[in-house]
Amino acid sequence: MTAWIDVCSTTDIDDDDLIAWSHGEHQLAIYNTSKGFFATALMCTHEAESLEYGLVMDCVIECPLHGGRFDICSGKALSAPVFKDLQTYPVKVEHGRIFVSLD
Amino acid sequence: MRDYVPTNAASSGVRLDKKTFKAIAQRSNLQGLQYLSLWSLVLILTGAMVLLLRDTFWLVPALVLHGTFLTVPAYSMSHETAHGTAFRTRWLNELVFWLTSVVYMEEPLHRRYTHTNHHTHTWHVGKDSQMPFDTPMRFGGWLIEVSGIGLLIFHMSVFVRLCTGRYSETMLMVTPAQELPKMTRNAWLILLVYIVVAGSPFFGVWWPMLLIVLPRLLGAPVMLLFTLIQHVELQENSPSIVESTRSFKGNWLSSFLYMNMNNHVEHHLYPQVPFHALPKLASKLEDQLPDRDPGFWRTNWEVLAVVTKRSLGLKTKAPSIRQAPHMVTHGGPIEKIAKKTM
Repeated sequence: MTAWIDVCSTTDIDDDDLIAWSHGEHQLAIYNTSKGFFATALMCTHEAESLEYGLVMDCVIECPLHGGRFDICSGKALSAPVFKDLQTYPVKVEHGRIFVSLD
Repeated sequence: MRDYVPTNAASSGVRLDKKTFKAIAQRSNLQGLQYLSLWSLVLILTGAMVLLLRDTFWLVPALVLHGTFLTVPAYSMSHETAHGTAFRTRWLNELVFWLTSVVYMEEPLHRRYTHTNHHTHTWHVGKDSQMPFDTPMRFGGWLIEVSGIGLLIFHMSVFVRLCTGRYSETMLMVTPAQELPKMTRNAWLILLVYIVVAGSPFFGVWWPMLLIVLPRLLGAPVMLLFTLIQHVELQENSPSIVESTRSFKGNWLSSFLYMNMNNHVEHHLYPQVPFHALPKLASKLEDQLPDRDPGFWRTNWEVLAVVTKRSLGLKTKAPSIRQAPHMVTHGGPIEKIAKKTM
């Protein structure tokens, strides 16, 4: 059975933006995009920069350090210098709250 | 984990709240397309001037004028698109990145990766891959830099290295290994374009020479006067962008040619901010930054005076531009700090 963890309210994240969220040793980026809410690992797979100050554009997150881009929905690395995909996490929204599973 | 601290707002002690930053950093196609339209219009006018005056004495000034409007914005747009900030639509950004990098005469991916590295290690000796002159600068270095000879030789050497697969240590340091074969392919393609353009007069076709090649070479000094004053006379090896980088006053003409990069400190603090939003960013940060240096001409004049005096062994305090403490001497010999990397 999936363990869902309450992260925040849906209103805590601006449109086309993300927040950094940590739980134990896990560091996640929680996104509010035009396609819904998503969660990925927070640190860029290139040189471990936090994506918190990255720009969200049409379901793409761009790393603030070297401009590497990832698809937020799938975590797929889209353009150099990133080649390794971001880990993604299941997300659900209930009663205006965002829940994430770290399983 | 990485073993360095990137040079940016955080390393410089400059703060901007996240909401303000994200509002300023929003990408748009509109401003980029407006810029491209205006630039194209200007090039049509100055290009027509070159063709109309080609059999007169006025051809040379017309070539310089057309060259300035071709070369400086090509550099600026190539730089902006290397960052991915000129347009919101990625393919449009990449298309313009390719075209303007070909005019600037640098293989696009080489340009992008060496420039990314320049932002990560701004003005750090042995790490910054875009230090175009030895520091402290002397008159000989100024002449090689501003004439365009230094950059031309560097760009040609990059093409030779990429085409032959003899990648330099810097290339290997700053480029993901997967990208090197693409860069070699690109270099061959671009070299082919250059060969066709350079060979066109042999087939009786002169317009590429008049409208592209000669203007590109004659426009280089103005472009290099802009880029020269980004970091010259400032502090090497500092984590602070405020100490290593210069902003200077601009007017409508320099803002157009240089795409607002006279706000250079601000650009290095927040490289994700597009060119059109730099004045707004500057206004948000002005309380945290030193006064900007004088305008393009005055700043360049003071730099020229300082480097000439340094070569003559005279005092090197400039009247008004910012200088790192070790750049100001009472004359005599001076220790070299940085060897150029491009």
